[in-house]
Amino acid sequence: MMIDLDVTINGVHRHITTDPRLTLLEVLREQVLLTGTKEGCGVGECGTCVVLADGKPVTSCLILAGDADGVTIETVEGLATDGVLTEMQQAFVKTGAFQCGFCTPAMVLTATAIFRENDNPDIEDVKKALGGILCRCGAYPKILEAVIEVKGEGT
Amino acid sequence: MKRLREFEYYEPTSLEEASRMLAEAEPDARVLAGGTDLVVDMKTGRMRPSTVVNLKRIPDLTGIEDADGGTRIGALTKVDVVEVSPLVVERHPALAQAASILASPPVRALATIGGNVGRASPASDLGPALIVSDAVATIHGVDGPRDELVEDLYTGPGATSLARSDIITALTLPARRPGFGSAHVKLGKRGSGTDIALAGASASLVIGDGGEIIDCRIALASLGPIPFRAVGSESVLRSEILTEALLEAAAEAAAGDAKPIGDMRASSAYRTRLARVLTLRALHGAVESAGAGVAA
Repeated sequence: MMIDLDVTINGVHRHITTDPRLTLLEVLREQVLLTGTKEGCGVGECGTCVVLADGKPVTSCLILAGDADGVTIETVEGLATDGVLTEMQQAFVKTGAFQCGFCTPAMVLTATAIFRENDNPDIEDVKKALGGILCRCGAYPKILEAVIEVKGEGT
Repeated sequence: MKRLREFEYYEPTSLEEASRMLAEAEPDARVLAGGTDLVVDMKTGRMRPSTVVNLKRIPDLTGIEDADGGTRIGALTKVDVVEVSPLVVERHPALAQAASILASPPVRALATIGGNVGRASPASDLGPALIVSDAVATIHGVDGPRDELVEDLYTGPGATSLARSDIITALTLPARRPGFGSAHVKLGKRGSGTDIALAGASASLVIGDGGEIIDCRIALASLGPIPFRAVGSESVLRSEILTEALLEAAAEAAAGDAKPIGDMRASSAYRTRLARVLTLRALHGAVESAGAGVAA
């Protein structure tokens, strides 16, 4: 049994024929070959597989392919334009907001989504929004530093 | 993670079609709403449905609207939408609070209120909040729609009184009465919600002008096989005058109502203590939400 999906991934409209048993995470990594999105626990606990679906961070490991139909998806590969990193990505680099980098795509995407809604977010709200993503290296202070870097000084 | 096992996959476009598919499929068929429990259960092998019926193409299952001063919430409404809905926040604080601590933000963006009820987890965050709000589930079955108290749906861990072909279409919470207040609290491992409740408690109170408790509900989660009313605790409160000592007595009684198991997350004795502590916190929250004060 196969199903057809119409999805927009990183600004590109795609028609994808896939197996309904696959998750969005598997479709992205194995069919579209966008391997920036990582699989951690596979059961929605760690948040490593977060992508933006219609602008919202979601755990792509829990989305069956059929639920991705008609959705606009952004992955970490869609952030930079012509090889130029976004302000948030540059802030992560500048503050060293990662060690192994496995949670970084989810962290950067979630932080990016926060700033699209509010360019001066409360740090407690940022912590709550990022709270769904585990960083096993414990880079949380640096990740918050990157967010504060983007937020700007004196705020 | 290994691939899911093969299943028949359907996206019906009407409730009638969905109910028929469920009635005709093998008994292990499952309804897919947000998927945050079902997909996990399928990945871990706890459930191996031969058929999955996705409700996403059925119209009118999403949205929050006024219903005679109460609030009707479509079953497929996402938990993160419930969490910030002005109608829910103003009228049904316990539900808004429970929604705000259910799992993590990227899971709340997928999980649905109807799915949470249908899943019937003993550790449900929304369950106790819906119970103390006197929430009614509208259910579409082969014989048409019917209404049932959410409280009456739960029959066991992961089990409900719903028939195979039944589909929850909406949850309706009645209008807020004068003097009403409600609150939900839980204790998890990771601070601000994010993970499963070691124990949870919701309380609602209707407090009269003289401080008398006209009506009350207390409901507990992870403290028994289902989300359930702590009737012993409620009977301590009902018709009495609100005092701190009364709230403490009610919290103590809630520990007697609790029948928790011990597991890898918490021992039975610890959970019983939590029943008292969390019930007291929920009651204080409900008093505050009612805008009332507590006599010493």
